[in-house]
Amino acid sequence: MWSGFAVVFEPQNLLWCLLGVTLGMLVGVLPGLGPAATIAILLPITYDLEPAPAIILLAGIFYGAQYGGTITSVLLRLPGEASTVVTVLDGHEMARQGRAGPALGIAAIGSFIGGTASIVLLSAVAPFVADFALKFGPAEYTVLALIGIFLVASLGNGTLVKGVAAAAAGLLLATVGSDPMVGEPRFVFGSDQLADGIDFVIVAMGLFGVGEILYNLEHRQSASADVPAFGRAWPSRLDWLRSRLAILRGSVVGFLLGVLPGGGATMSSLVAYAVEKRFAADPSRFGRGAIEGVAGPETANNAAATSSFIPLLVLGLPANATMAVLYGALMLQGVPPGPALIDQHPDVFWGVINSMYVGNLFLLLFSVPLIGLFVRLLKVRQSILAPLTVLITMIGVYSLRNNVFDMVLVAVLGLLGYGMKKLGFEPGPFVLAFVLGELLESAFRRSMRLFDGSLLGFVTRPISATLLALFVIAVVAVPLLRVRRHGHLDRHEVGRGGRDDAS
Amino acid sequence: MIAGIVVAALGLAALVLGWGLGFGSLTDPGPGLWPAIVSVVLVVTGVVIAIRRPDDTEPFTRQVVAVLLAAASLAGYAAVIEHVGFEIPTVVLLALWLRLLGAEGWRVTAVVSVVATACAYGLFISVLGVPLPHLIGA
Repeated sequence: MWSGFAVVFEPQNLLWCLLGVTLGMLVGVLPGLGPAATIAILLPITYDLEPAPAIILLAGIFYGAQYGGTITSVLLRLPGEASTVVTVLDGHEMARQGRAGPALGIAAIGSFIGGTASIVLLSAVAPFVADFALKFGPAEYTVLALIGIFLVASLGNGTLVKGVAAAAAGLLLATVGSDPMVGEPRFVFGSDQLADGIDFVIVAMGLFGVGEILYNLEHRQSASADVPAFGRAWPSRLDWLRSRLAILRGSVVGFLLGVLPGGGATMSSLVAYAVEKRFAADPSRFGRGAIEGVAGPETANNAAATSSFIPLLVLGLPANATMAVLYGALMLQGVPPGPALIDQHPDVFWGVINSMYVGNLFLLLFSVPLIGLFVRLLKVRQSILAPLTVLITMIGVYSLRNNVFDMVLVAVLGLLGYGMKKLGFEPGPFVLAFVLGELLESAFRRSMRLFDGSLLGFVTRPISATLLALFVIAVVAVPLLRVRRHGHLDRHEVGRGGRDDAS
Repeated sequence: MIAGIVVAALGLAALVLGWGLGFGSLTDPGPGLWPAIVSVVLVVTGVVIAIRRPDDTEPFTRQVVAVLLAAASLAGYAAVIEHVGFEIPTVVLLALWLRLLGAEGWRVTAVVSVVATACAYGLFISVLGVPLPHLIGA
């Protein structure tokens, strides 16, 4: 664990970390591209890096975006990220009352505390989970992957059945190429280019990157609103007294929900808001500029962003769309995430984890002073940003294999991503299922061999039976939970904006 | 409705193709078994969507033409850069996106597309050494 700090404090790694969180804040501020898309677009650039700095950079983008999204939520009522949508309710109200400074200040402090607490818990828990997970066989992995895909498919914005359909389509696309067990070509339609299967990076860049750019061509969000003045960013004594327990509760809620598949930053911020409202002595203050309504969710989304690294790094199962892209990044680096990662690549594991302390510190120090700059960047028109982003994406795709076929493929997948969004299918479950497709199929087929063709085998092994029971509970509970959640927070209450690609 | 039919049709097509690959048995699964399972999920969800018709789809308006043009321009870009190098297609691609898709003025279009192409040349070819086909300094 301590060796990780040696990795972090190498000057160049500090620089990558700083670059990552700054980029993250930037995409958090700009509506249009989310962290998943940004990380996907930058994947080719990380090819030439060592594993530790590459993942430090990409992870920084992810949690940095949680900070950035807050700024536009509070100042402009324009959530840059889905995870900061709920912050609009009280945060923007505070800004209208001339208290934007304290709102942003407490968000930064809460995020720092939530993030840091989450790293401490993660460091404590991860080795135990890894030890336990070493006992997992193909049956357990089959069930775990199914749980992960189902929860991500069901907890997104769209309808449940469409989420499942999108995930199934992703699983199908993952079968293109050669059969993982016997090597027989499948669905390649005689194309040499498809014979090795479709590269994950191209799927992520197509659906998240180009898909979002195409979708945004139709949905230009304007940020011409006037920025309310904000005075000093430091919260007052009363602000702090009011929010300290909210920050504590937000840390716990965020950590717990971040670990769950399909949880993550967005859901935890919604739950944290609901929790704060319930604990409040006077709930009617909420929606009228209650600082707890900013502190709780902002703490929680950052804590969740951090703890969602547990299932990724320790089990090798990404819990949300952004983690799916990071999963791909780790595979590209030849560092497959899973229970063996801590022992085999301690420098990567602890390096990445410990870099988050430093990254959160950077964010605490820089996010408030840089607000003015970010707000000015918002004035750059999307009609100029879109062509530049698309150019970077296309050249990035080419640089993967120096192959123009990949560029065509990314355009086609971008169109698919656009069509899916138009028809109400979330690209998140699709990409996640694509990433896990090969693992799931191999694990399933190996289990079937092991169990001699009997599906009962999944029930008779204790660990997989327990997981399966959890899966069944999830299938039953999720529809109930969805009803409750929509009851708590009507989407129209906060207006539209922000994407759900991080959840 | 359409969304459901598309999903179900995709599932059916994959099921037929998967059948051709051979399902094998549960004891010894063939290459087609897994795709077939996934296809069945697609068909079922497709039918459910078609029946329930959730109204979460956005109408396809005239804007679709712009999106199709945008996607086609990317494919076209890929098709030509190996033959004529990266510089001219990049300027054209950016100009198309800025002027036609972004409704920017001519001056912005000209400046941004040329400057961005020069920057991309500097960054990707000179600094990062991406072997993009290029004319200048080839």
